[in-house]
Amino acid sequence: MKKESFLDKAGTRSVLASLVAILIGMLAGSVVILIVGLTNPSLGISGAWEGIRLVVGGLFATGRDTVGNLSFGFNPASFGNMLFRAVPLIMTGLSVALGNKAGLFNIGAPGQYLAGTAASLFVALSVPTSAVPAWLVWIMALLTGMMAGALWGSIPGMLKAYLNINEVLACIMTNWIAANAVTWIFDSSSLKNVLEGTKSGYIYKTSTVINDVIVDGVRTVAGTNIPEGAQVLSTRGGVATAKLGLDSLFTGSQVNAGILVAIVIAVVIYILLSKTTLGYQLKACGANRYAARYAGIRDKRNIVLTMALAGALSAAGGALYYLSGNTEFFWNTYQSLPAEGFNGIPVALLAINNPVGVIFSATFMSMLQICGQKLTELTAYNEYITNVIIAVIVYLSAFMLVIKTWIGKLRKGKAVEK
Amino acid sequence: MDHENDYVIEMLHITKEFPGIKANDDITLQLRRGEIHALLGENGAGKSTLMSVLFGLYQPEKGEIRKDGKPVKINNPNDATALHIGMVHQHFKLIEVFTVLDNIILGAEDTKLGFVQRKEARKKAEALSKRYGLAVDLDAKVEDITVGMQQRVEILKMLYRDNEVLIFDEPTAVLTPQEITELMQIMKGLAKEGKSILFISHKLNEIMEVSDRVSVLRKGRYIGTVNTGETTTVELSRMMVGHDVQLVVDKSPAQPKETVLKVTDLHVASRLYKHDAVKGVSFEVRKGEIVCIAGIDGNGQTELVFGISGLEKCTGGKIEINGVDITHAPIRKRSEAGISHIPEDRHKHGLVLDYTLEQNMVLQSFEEPRFQHLGFIRFGAVRKYAERLIEEYDVRSGQGPITVTRSMSGGNQQKAIVAREIDRDLPLMLAVQPTRGLDVGAIENIHKQIVAQRDAGKAVLLVSLELDEVMNLSDRILVMYEGEIVGELDPKKTTVEELGLYMAGAKRQQPKKEALA
Repeated sequence: MKKESFLDKAGTRSVLASLVAILIGMLAGSVVILIVGLTNPSLGISGAWEGIRLVVGGLFATGRDTVGNLSFGFNPASFGNMLFRAVPLIMTGLSVALGNKAGLFNIGAPGQYLAGTAASLFVALSVPTSAVPAWLVWIMALLTGMMAGALWGSIPGMLKAYLNINEVLACIMTNWIAANAVTWIFDSSSLKNVLEGTKSGYIYKTSTVINDVIVDGVRTVAGTNIPEGAQVLSTRGGVATAKLGLDSLFTGSQVNAGILVAIVIAVVIYILLSKTTLGYQLKACGANRYAARYAGIRDKRNIVLTMALAGALSAAGGALYYLSGNTEFFWNTYQSLPAEGFNGIPVALLAINNPVGVIFSATFMSMLQICGQKLTELTAYNEYITNVIIAVIVYLSAFMLVIKTWIGKLRKGKAVEK
Repeated sequence: MDHENDYVIEMLHITKEFPGIKANDDITLQLRRGEIHALLGENGAGKSTLMSVLFGLYQPEKGEIRKDGKPVKINNPNDATALHIGMVHQHFKLIEVFTVLDNIILGAEDTKLGFVQRKEARKKAEALSKRYGLAVDLDAKVEDITVGMQQRVEILKMLYRDNEVLIFDEPTAVLTPQEITELMQIMKGLAKEGKSILFISHKLNEIMEVSDRVSVLRKGRYIGTVNTGETTTVELSRMMVGHDVQLVVDKSPAQPKETVLKVTDLHVASRLYKHDAVKGVSFEVRKGEIVCIAGIDGNGQTELVFGISGLEKCTGGKIEINGVDITHAPIRKRSEAGISHIPEDRHKHGLVLDYTLEQNMVLQSFEEPRFQHLGFIRFGAVRKYAERLIEEYDVRSGQGPITVTRSMSGGNQQKAIVAREIDRDLPLMLAVQPTRGLDVGAIENIHKQIVAQRDAGKAVLLVSLELDEVMNLSDRILVMYEGEIVGELDPKKTTVEELGLYMAGAKRQQPKKEALA
C-alpha cells in the first residue's frame, strides 16, 4: 500500500486550514481598513496602505523613521508583550477546548477567570511576606485561584450532571454572579489601591509592597516610604511572577515565566486527553454519554470533573495575568466580563480543541492585539476600528471547518484525476 | 420482448469509493415499471451506498443513471425528488412534534399569500390514504403514534409528492410481525397501482413473499439478478454470502447447572409512564442454558434488561448474581460481578461511534492493568487486543483497529460489540436482539457464538422479537406481556402459534397479579 501523502494527513489538513482561514481573515481585515481609509480624508490611500501593513506586520513595527515612514524590524517589546498577553488566552482556550472535548460548552470561562483572579489577588496581597517567602505566596496564590475556579466551574457542572440543566445557561448565570460577587468582595476589602491617589478604582499590583503600620496610635498602610516613628506590624505584597531572564531577551516588555507555565499546562492537558484513561473517559462521555454509562463509566462524576478542571484552567489564566506584578485589576466588574474569558472560545475553535494548538492560536490572537495597538498608536485609525478589524479576522478564522472540507475536496479531485 | 423502455430506473456500472474501501464496484441495477425489485446483500455489501447514489447523497466515480431511458444527473436529493424518486429511510425523517399532516406536506406545501393550504392538502392526503390503504391519523402528533404508523406516514410523504419510484431501506427492521404483514400488503398494492419499488432487505422470507425480482450484491460487487419465482431462500443466501449458510441453529440439548442470575419480584419504572414497566418478575438463569425473553416490543423487556444491567433503577425486588445482591449496585460493580451485555441499541449504548474500533473494544476494560499503567493507556496492548478480536471474530472495516466505528457497516459494528462482550468472559451474558438488522451470514455467526458461550458454561439471557430466533436459539422461553412473565415454554414442545397467543396476552399460565390481591 502506498504511504499516505503528507497533504492527506488529517493533522496537516487541519493546520493548513487554520492558516488559510487566518490568511482570509487578514485579507478581509485589510479590506475593512481600505474602506475606512478611503472614506476618511485624514487617512486616504496612503494611510490605508500603512494600516494594512500594520495589521499584517504590526508585530514587527518599530515606529516611524525620521522622514515619517513606518519602520519595521525585530521589536523585542512587541514580541514579549505578545507572549505575555497570550498567557491568559492560552489558559481560557485550554479551558474551552477541554470542555468541548468532553461535550460541554464552557462559556463560563469569564466567571471562572474572575473567580481565579479574585482569589489569587486576595492571597497574594493578604499573606504577609514578612512571614512567608514571596515565591511561596505566589504559588499559594496561583493554587488558591485555581481551586476557586474549579469550585466555580463545578457549579454548572453539578447542575448539568444531577439536574440536567443546560451548562450554557448555568455558565452564563454564574458568569454574572461572579462579576457581581467580585465587585462586592473587593468593595469591602482593604486591597483597593490607596497608596497611589489616582488608582482608586484598582486593586494593588501584587508587586506593591504594603506595610501595615501604626502611626500615632492609628492603624494605616504605607508603601516603601515608612513615616518616621511608625511601628511596622507586617509587610504584604511584593509578589510577582519570576522573569527567568525573559525580560532581558525581550527588553521593554512585560513578559515573564507565566508563558512557560502556560505552555507546560497545555502540554499536560494534551497528555491528559490523549494518553490517559481519564482523558479516554472524559472524551467518551462527551462523544456518547449513554454508551459511557452503559460501559460503567461514571458520566456524572466526569461532567463535574471536566467543568472543575476547565474552571481551574480559566482561573489559572486570571491568576497568571494578575500575579505578574505589573498588571492592575479594575475591581468594578459588575457591569463587564473579562474579554479573555470569551476569547477562549475562538482560541479553542481555531486550534480545533487541540491543547498544543491552543498555544499557537492564543499567541496569534494576542499578536492581533499588538497589531491593533500599533495601528492605534502609529496611524489615525482609532481603537474601535481596530477592534472591528480584529473581530473580522477572528470571525473569518472560524470558517476553518469550511476550508478544511474544501481542502479535502481539492485533494480528492486531484486523486481522481490521477 | 425488448425491455428497453420498460425500465424506469437504470443504474449502469456504478462505482463508488470511500477511503480504504470500494463500496460499489461496477454495479448495474435495472428497475422495471410496476415491479417490486428486492436488493439483497449482507451488511456492508453496498446496498445503502447504491441507494444513496440514486438519491443524490453521493456522487459515483463511474457509471450512469438513466430515468425512462434518458441519462440523468442526480446531484442532490432535490434532483431525485424532481425525478419522482422517493425514499423511506431505515430511520425515519419525521418531525416528532408536528402532526402527521404537517409532516406529509413539509417541503411540498401549497401556499396562497403565504398561508399553507391545509384543507387541500388534507383532501389529497386523505384520498391517498384511502386509495392505498394507508391508515393514519392526520391530526395525531408523530411522537404519539406507533412505529408502524410512522412508516405509513413516510410512505404517504412519497405518494404526496407523486413519486413513481419508491425506495424502501430495510423497512421491516423496526416493525412487529403484524406490521410487517401489513406493509407487505401495502407494497403489493402500490406496485399494482403502477409504482416501481426498490426493496432493500436481507430478510429472505420477506423478499420471497413480496418481490418480483431480486438483485444480489456481495462485498460491493454485483452478483446477479434472479426472478423470485425461480429461486429459493437457500440459493439466495448462497448468492449473498458466497457459501452455503445454515439457516437453522445447530445445537445440542442444554445441560443447565447451578443458578447464575436470580431475579425475585423485580419492579422497574417505565421511562414514559408513571406505572412500572416491569411488574414483579421472577426467574432464574442457570449455567449452560439460553433463556429467552419473548414478547411483542414494548412489554417491558427493555426495562427488564435495563434493571438487570443497571441502566435503570429498580423500584423493587432483588437481583442476585452467583448469590451476590446487585439490586442497587452501580453499573461498573454489576459488570465486575459478572454481567456482559450486548445492548439493544448499538448506536446509543453499544459504541462510542466517534471512537475508533480499538477504543471501543476496551470500553469497559480500559482501566484494567493490562490496558493501563498508572493511568496512562498502554496503546500497544490495546492495539494488540483489538487486532486479536478483529481476527477472531472477523470484524471487517476499512482501516482495521483505527477505523472510526461510525464508518463501519451495521453488521460489523454489531460483530465488534459481540466480540467485545464475549471476550470479557463473564458468567452471565445479556443479549438483547443481538441480530437485529443483520444479514443471514452475520446472524449465523452470532448464533453460533452464543451457543458456544452456553456450551462453555455461561448463562445467557436472550431478549428477542424475532420468533425464528426465539424458537431456534433458546432452551427455555419466558413470555413477557405487559410487564409480567405470563408463561414459561419449552421450545421443543411448543409451536409458534401457541407462543403467539402468549405474546398477545390471550393465554397465561399464572393468574394475573391484581386478581390475586
